[in-house]
Amino acid sequence: MEIDPLPNGTGSTAATTTTETTVTATLPTAVSNTTPSSKLSQLTESLKLEHQFLRVPFEHYKKTIRANHRTAEKEVSSVISSVADVADSNEISKDDAVLSLTSLVSRLQGLKRKLEEGSRTENLQVQNCRARLDHLESVDAENLSEWNNVRFKRILVDYMLRMSYYDTARKLAESSKIEELVDLEVFQEAKKAVDALKNQEVGPALAWCAENKSRLKKSKSKFEFQLRLQEFIELVRAENYMRAILYARRYLAPWGATHLKELQLVMTTLAFRSNTECTKYKVLFEPKQWDFLVDQFKQEFYKLHGMTLEPLLNIYLQAGLSALKTPYCFEDDCTKEDPLSQENFRKLAMPLPYSKQHHSKLVCYITKELMDTENPPQVLPNGYVYSTKALKEMAEKNNGKITCPRTGLVCNYSDLVKAYIS
Amino acid sequence: MELHSLKDSFDRVAKKRKVSYSKTHEVTDLIVQEINKAIKVMQSSTLEYKSELAELKKKLQEVSPLNQLEGAQKKLNIALIKYPKALEKVFNRDISKAYQNIEFDSPIVNQIIASHFYRQGLFEVGDCFIAEAQDAEAAVAMRSLFQELYQMLEAMKSQNLEPALKWAAANSNKLKENGSDLQLRIHHLQFVKILQKGSRDEALKYARTNFASFAGNHMAEIQKLMGCLLYSDRLHESPYAHLLSPTNWDTVTDELTRQFCNLLGQSYESPLSATIAAGIQGLPPLLKFMTVMAGQKHEWQSMKQLPVPVELDKEFQFHSVFVCPVTKEQSTDDNLPMLMSCGHVLCKQSINKMSKNGSKTFKCPYCPTDIDLTQCRQLIF
Repeated sequence: MEIDPLPNGTGSTAATTTTETTVTATLPTAVSNTTPSSKLSQLTESLKLEHQFLRVPFEHYKKTIRANHRTAEKEVSSVISSVADVADSNEISKDDAVLSLTSLVSRLQGLKRKLEEGSRTENLQVQNCRARLDHLESVDAENLSEWNNVRFKRILVDYMLRMSYYDTARKLAESSKIEELVDLEVFQEAKKAVDALKNQEVGPALAWCAENKSRLKKSKSKFEFQLRLQEFIELVRAENYMRAILYARRYLAPWGATHLKELQLVMTTLAFRSNTECTKYKVLFEPKQWDFLVDQFKQEFYKLHGMTLEPLLNIYLQAGLSALKTPYCFEDDCTKEDPLSQENFRKLAMPLPYSKQHHSKLVCYITKELMDTENPPQVLPNGYVYSTKALKEMAEKNNGKITCPRTGLVCNYSDLVKAYIS
Repeated sequence: MELHSLKDSFDRVAKKRKVSYSKTHEVTDLIVQEINKAIKVMQSSTLEYKSELAELKKKLQEVSPLNQLEGAQKKLNIALIKYPKALEKVFNRDISKAYQNIEFDSPIVNQIIASHFYRQGLFEVGDCFIAEAQDAEAAVAMRSLFQELYQMLEAMKSQNLEPALKWAAANSNKLKENGSDLQLRIHHLQFVKILQKGSRDEALKYARTNFASFAGNHMAEIQKLMGCLLYSDRLHESPYAHLLSPTNWDTVTDELTRQFCNLLGQSYESPLSATIAAGIQGLPPLLKFMTVMAGQKHEWQSMKQLPVPVELDKEFQFHSVFVCPVTKEQSTDDNLPMLMSCGHVLCKQSINKMSKNGSKTFKCPYCPTDIDLTQCRQLIF
């Protein structure tokens, strides 16, 4: 429905007939703006949004591979150097040597068992990756609404997991049998650290940093530094000044090269009491800092695992609200089918931009249906517009008379004028 | 969506991993073998065990197990890097590119979610969510509102129409006002059910008690139902066999839900799922725009209107939007659409411009009709 020349109301008869025939000939396909092929391309576009869906299980798999490989490497290397030690030792007796070697063999047997177990875990993860690829391939015109339903539930579970509502996430996933399609397991790793941070303990979070040391270093993350700073502040709060200084020497100094300003700021807290009124340092003592650490952890966690930094729900919600937002949504007679007729949705949409359209789309006040070339708009003498369908029905039931539902004006069906809107 | 190449790329990763695994096993077995050999030799002979140990150490160095492990892992690493690159070619790496840094108020979002759970009948999930979120208690009102609906639907699943009949009777006037024949439809189902059991008399009695009030508007339907009485024991062979189809129950379930929501002043579709569906449609064009305008994110974050048009499916069009075909701008209260005498419509500003504020006539851009400003009428959709 682009820039086609509009059917002319007063042109020459010859031209009109040809235009009319072409219009009717193309009507079946050109009417709705969701022809099968455009619906398919719309679907493909929406599938391209699913990067996180495939990336997360892959990163998880990669991590397991690396961890298992490291274990194997370490063990093999350790065994080899132990053999060298035994061989190089001057005082070891034959029996002792044999004993050592035998214990090394059993260590290697132990390694093989561990490898078996690791392989089993990895196979499950491989299955998961494949299942998700299959899931994306499986959508077509027939199961589209069911598939979209599942996508919606996935988005909700993602939100639950990120907000740490783990029970709800599990319940929702189980009730819709989509456990394979969501990341419950991956978030279990986050749960420990998040729960501890909420309890003002940095232990598990630090362990997580150690586990992911190389990747955090690659992304130049300063999260470990921030954890250490918080521990330091807690020592200062408890007035354990000596321990604080020792702690700083051991754990904060290495970060001085890259984060000197921040280090200096926090070190200065030594000179203050935790209930200081000096705003610059008061903020460092506030419990809010722990909430900040929780958020930081989550951001680092998401980055490492291939997830978006915002919950999927928020991303789609924002786009949807903007796409639906028109000035008419805020009027009192806005139809309740419009989500923006609801107070909560209006509040969320307030700071967001309005939608933009390049093509007119007109909705009949009476039938709530679209007024297009199949059901063109007609204009009453008072300028109010309704669909041909609604007006015809009204005229048939009332001896050819039309009553405007909004102004009460009465006129004849024959007084109406067709409007041509592309 | 065709994902062959991605699946192949992933299969390569899995295969290389298998190879590296078997290599690890191989290497481990080899070391075990050598050590066991050495032990045997040392235990059997009384000769120099030191030299045997030295032999073992040398052998292990020769075999260089660590290098073998590394070699297999290197091949795997290549595949491990290729796959995510392939992913990023097909899928959009960062869908939050168009996200504006406006914090959503968590209690409001949680209330919306909780309401959604309750209106979809997921009461257990909703309760669990309210307990965990702790800032969405306001949504509990939805629970009691919708509980009645789901009780009726649950009963209908086991072919029990009593709760639905009761509700329809209680709300009979409002239903009629809305033009819904729900009550009759439920009676219809009940009637067929009784007839299926074979008790023609009971069915007749039922019809007499309940159909009379609908005779005015739905005579044709009632006549059909009366016709069924003739075939009470062999309905499935009669011309009325289609009345036995379970889809009739689905239609009534649907209408019941629709009218229930209607009478509560609620929408039929969950507003949350509608908004998310709109978001899924609306996001791709926004992301495309962001990719093109990569550097200028900050500028449009404070814009009043989206920078690109987003055309949603017609089920999301709740309001009339008129776009002037000349300026491509949406009409506003200050710039209403005007109907020209040829039947085409432009916005007021365009007409003013083309007529030089009413000082001259101009030609409609679509047809060669002469237009006079004074003959143009304001339109209200």
